[in-house]
Amino acid sequence: MISAAKTAAAIRAGKFRAAEVTERALAGIAARNATTNAFTEVTTARARTEAAAVDAAIAAGRDPGPLAGVPYAVKNLFDLEGVTTLAGAAIEKDRPAAARDAFLVRQLRAAGGVCLGALNMDEYAYGFTTENHHYGPCRNPHDLTRVAGGSSGGSAVAVAAGLVPLTLGSDTNGSIRVPSSLCGIFGLKPTYGRLSRAGSYPFVGSLDHLGPFARDVADLALAYDAMQGADPEDPAQQWRPVDPVASLLDQDVQGLRFAVAGGHFARNGHPEAFAAVATVARALGATRRVELPEAARARAAAFLISMAEGANLHMPDLRSRAESFDPATRDRFLAGAMLPAHWVIQAQRLRAAYRDAVLKLFAEVDVILAPATPYVAPHIGQDMIEVDGAMLPVRPNLGIYTQPISCIGLPVLAVPIADPVAIGTPGGLPIGVQLIAAPWREDILFRVAAALERAGVCASPQPRS
Amino acid sequence: MSTEFDAEAYAKATAPALGLPLDPRHMPGIVANLQLAARMAALVEALPLSPADEAAPVFVAGREPPK
Repeated sequence: MISAAKTAAAIRAGKFRAAEVTERALAGIAARNATTNAFTEVTTARARTEAAAVDAAIAAGRDPGPLAGVPYAVKNLFDLEGVTTLAGAAIEKDRPAAARDAFLVRQLRAAGGVCLGALNMDEYAYGFTTENHHYGPCRNPHDLTRVAGGSSGGSAVAVAAGLVPLTLGSDTNGSIRVPSSLCGIFGLKPTYGRLSRAGSYPFVGSLDHLGPFARDVADLALAYDAMQGADPEDPAQQWRPVDPVASLLDQDVQGLRFAVAGGHFARNGHPEAFAAVATVARALGATRRVELPEAARARAAAFLISMAEGANLHMPDLRSRAESFDPATRDRFLAGAMLPAHWVIQAQRLRAAYRDAVLKLFAEVDVILAPATPYVAPHIGQDMIEVDGAMLPVRPNLGIYTQPISCIGLPVLAVPIADPVAIGTPGGLPIGVQLIAAPWREDILFRVAAALERAGVCASPQPRS
Repeated sequence: MSTEFDAEAYAKATAPALGLPLDPRHMPGIVANLQLAARMAALVEALPLSPADEAAPVFVAGREPPK
């Protein structure tokens, strides 16, 4: 699979037709999707129509857009016109098809992108592994016995396995960054309020973000730039000017101030998580450490807010057909429905106080480095894992480093270690690092990620399976 | 807090107020999740906040539409 940028350039230059690229991608999905179970729906007719429109634009001398003919796919919580939005749930499969594309899908279509389908996820985005009870587990292309991460597991796997160069996912507590890390690809969780979420199935409105996955920084930037834009239909979006990043990737990172997150982010994980951070820190010359005050409490706050808001959204179904939920999410939603209001309001107050404390750090630091996941991909079906001598439930613990960051909406670019074998990860499996910036400073994150890519420190390792 | 919290009794008392039928087969999972939530709430509760610390979401009465 060639990159999105190269695909678009070749199609714009008339070297390939979008229709040819689309047919190749569709054939690849038909041949290989069963291996990983990334796609839950392939939108063949739509893809052919969109590709034909790109080819027609080029034939007519019109600009086909920066993503001309680039195949992409979306987590199955994004609305695709004419397709029922599953959000990973059996409950949703009999609902009417979406009448209109989600805002970000409309943006990608306007940029010339060709949508190939919808991708597997944890039910209602409430999970970190994509072991979906209804639609089957999504398998990690680096080791098919291991999880993809989640909840945007299909989005990460479709890119890591080379089925498409670009996908979209959502991230409430880590659902872009965790699968990015476990599948060894790049993922962006922009600032809360940057990209419109309208037309996506919500999980926790207070914490939901949408963002792209790709195998290199240029593709991630291309997607991010195309998706920016004001949308009155997302009540949480901040209407800021479009802030493109693709033209910044060659800028050096001299003068930027880096620090490694200590405390909570320097414990609670396996050695490979810290080796990954140390590798990136060394490449950037980061010697300083900063402490995000009360990060563990912030994670607890995000946990309570997620339980309560998530459950509230599904109350009618919890009352009438709790049996129809994925067993992995059902009991969490049922418990979440009953949380005392005081716990949730206190969590929202703590969240604001924690944000104010963390924002002060950015007076002295531009980018904070933290692990993305506490370990490499666990096995499918694995329930427990040993960390620091204690046995912990493996799934919720995957978000231990991501939750305290999304809790306050900071932008994060998850970058994969190019050579996981060299840093000694178990089985040479991939692992990533979070690059964290102040709100609205995605530009800095893209510059740093591109510099790490140029230095050969960060890149998507090739799956062996 | 969590040591004194009887999650099952709490769930049985709360569910009727919400019109939420609870299947006894789901109770072990509900109890485990409520106990976990109670531990999380204890962590949150242990950080003193002042009355000036308002909740994070802020209602906006109206927005200028994007140009």
